[in-house]
Amino acid sequence: MSQSEMPLRVLVVDDEQLARTLLRELLSEHPDIEVIAECGNGFEAVKAVTEKKPDLILLDIQMPKLDGFDVLELIGSETPIIFVTAFDQYAIKAFQVHAVDYLLKPFGAERLAEALARARARIGTRETIPSKALVAEARSARTPLERVLIRDRADVHVIPVSKIDYIESQDDYVSLKVGDRRMLKEQTLSELEQVLDPGRFVRIHRRYLLNVARLVRIEQSVTESRVAILHDGTELPISRSGYARLREIL
Amino acid sequence: MHPILGSIRRLAIYLLAWLVIGLLLAVGLGLGRGGDWLTAIAFFVPLGVVFALISQSAWYVCLTFPLVRSRGWTVAVSQVLAAVFASAIWVAIAGGWARTLAVAGLESAGAAMFQTQRPLLFVIGALLFWLVAIFFYLLIAFDASKEAERANLELTLLAREAELKALRAQIDPHFIFNSLHSISALTAADPAAARRMCLLLADFLRETLRLGGNDQIPLSEELALTDRFLAIEKIRLGERLNIARETDPGTAACLVPPLLLQPLVENAVNHGVAQLVDGGTIRLAATRSGSTLTITLENPCDPDRPRTRGVGLGLELLRKRLTNQYGTSDAVFAQEQAGQFRVEVRIPVVPEASA
Repeated sequence: MSQSEMPLRVLVVDDEQLARTLLRELLSEHPDIEVIAECGNGFEAVKAVTEKKPDLILLDIQMPKLDGFDVLELIGSETPIIFVTAFDQYAIKAFQVHAVDYLLKPFGAERLAEALARARARIGTRETIPSKALVAEARSARTPLERVLIRDRADVHVIPVSKIDYIESQDDYVSLKVGDRRMLKEQTLSELEQVLDPGRFVRIHRRYLLNVARLVRIEQSVTESRVAILHDGTELPISRSGYARLREIL
Repeated sequence: MHPILGSIRRLAIYLLAWLVIGLLLAVGLGLGRGGDWLTAIAFFVPLGVVFALISQSAWYVCLTFPLVRSRGWTVAVSQVLAAVFASAIWVAIAGGWARTLAVAGLESAGAAMFQTQRPLLFVIGALLFWLVAIFFYLLIAFDASKEAERANLELTLLAREAELKALRAQIDPHFIFNSLHSISALTAADPAAARRMCLLLADFLRETLRLGGNDQIPLSEELALTDRFLAIEKIRLGERLNIARETDPGTAACLVPPLLLQPLVENAVNHGVAQLVDGGTIRLAATRSGSTLTITLENPCDPDRPRTRGVGLGLELLRKRLTNQYGTSDAVFAQEQAGQFRVEVRIPVVPEASA
């Protein structure tokens, strides 16, 4: 099968039914396109990407809870994306995260065809995208972070940073302690530290990033090192440099 | 442009006035001293016309030393010097005229008239010059006040236009783009609905522009506008958007500033219901108690949403507007609690009939 005859499996994501209907209608004129699913929000989109592995995503930006950029952050940027929005102010950011194209509503069949041609070209070259770096770059555009998004296979958790007690480093992952739950996210502690508000989250130890609002007191332990006592009695070690950073804030 | 020399008509009226002054001089100075009619008129009337022209120089003195921007002593000194100079020239011309008349055979009377009245003539010349100067100063002041009035009017118009522009700018372009996209989608799927939406959108835009041009409108018209807006958004958002309205019949005629609710309703949709996966209900209520009209708008919102500055700014603008209009600083209350955002607007009742 030659490249042009390969059917492109497309995922349509938009929170408006009418917008999805229009995309379906316009896409139906392209025999080499197969719409594998329609999603009405970001959660469904992450689930669909996980389960169906589309070749291309037509992704709305303005959506409730998880917007288009959140979805991109969660799924990584291996799948080519065409952003669809009525807002032109996201264009630069869209290209920063290596979007194939950026469709401004309202758009017509010709403009969509152009975007699809670009997507096919992108897929044809099998261009690899330095996903992590790009997503991190895009993420840094809206720091400090107000919420952390965690993908648990097909499910997505949205954690407001104020609900995080502390974050523990576990190799390439971080473990977020949120109340009585622990959640894993594929990210390093240093990366997360960079995008969280430095006035609220302090690296008290090589392995721990603490929400200072949870700190009750600091105790001197026998071996000259210090221990942070949290609101629920949890004890976390404080390193020498961590103590200096804490003192700067408190 | 000289106010009198610049127009033939005005110059004619002015010279006519000076003919009268010349005659008065002839009566007062000529006849009063025992001269004959002919000599008095022949001597004084041409002198009056001559001084009419000489005294026009006062205009340039008045322009150079305007009352409002010059120091008092510069005005006084310049006007005294100018009057002395003008009057001296006049008296000199009068001397020459007396001699000319003498050659013409009216010698005895004219010369005598001039000889005895030279100092008086000088004083009268100076006084007449100042009269003209005062006339010019009045003219300048009148022009200035007319100019100030015109500038003031222009300023009012500009301010009004700016306000109107600001109101028009409140029509969110994304609302229009999104609506057009919905229409585009409906064109194939449901042409009748597409047409309905076109008309709704056109009505909404036209009404927004029309209402924005008024100082105050009945609440019922403002509500009709928000109805159109919500009807359009309902097509776009479908089941996610629900509307509940409870307005007391007595509030319909109350006057409110135009586009008072529209930005609030837009916020309720864009930052409230549209940010919820399952949407929600926007509740709009208007009640009247005594002389206070209370409008409340409630919408569910996502408590964990990233904060945008847009909402606060819109409320701040509304607060400022109402403060300007009613002089009350506490017309807008906004509160968010347990995923419900609530705005309360309280303004004094102005029933349409009494306005």
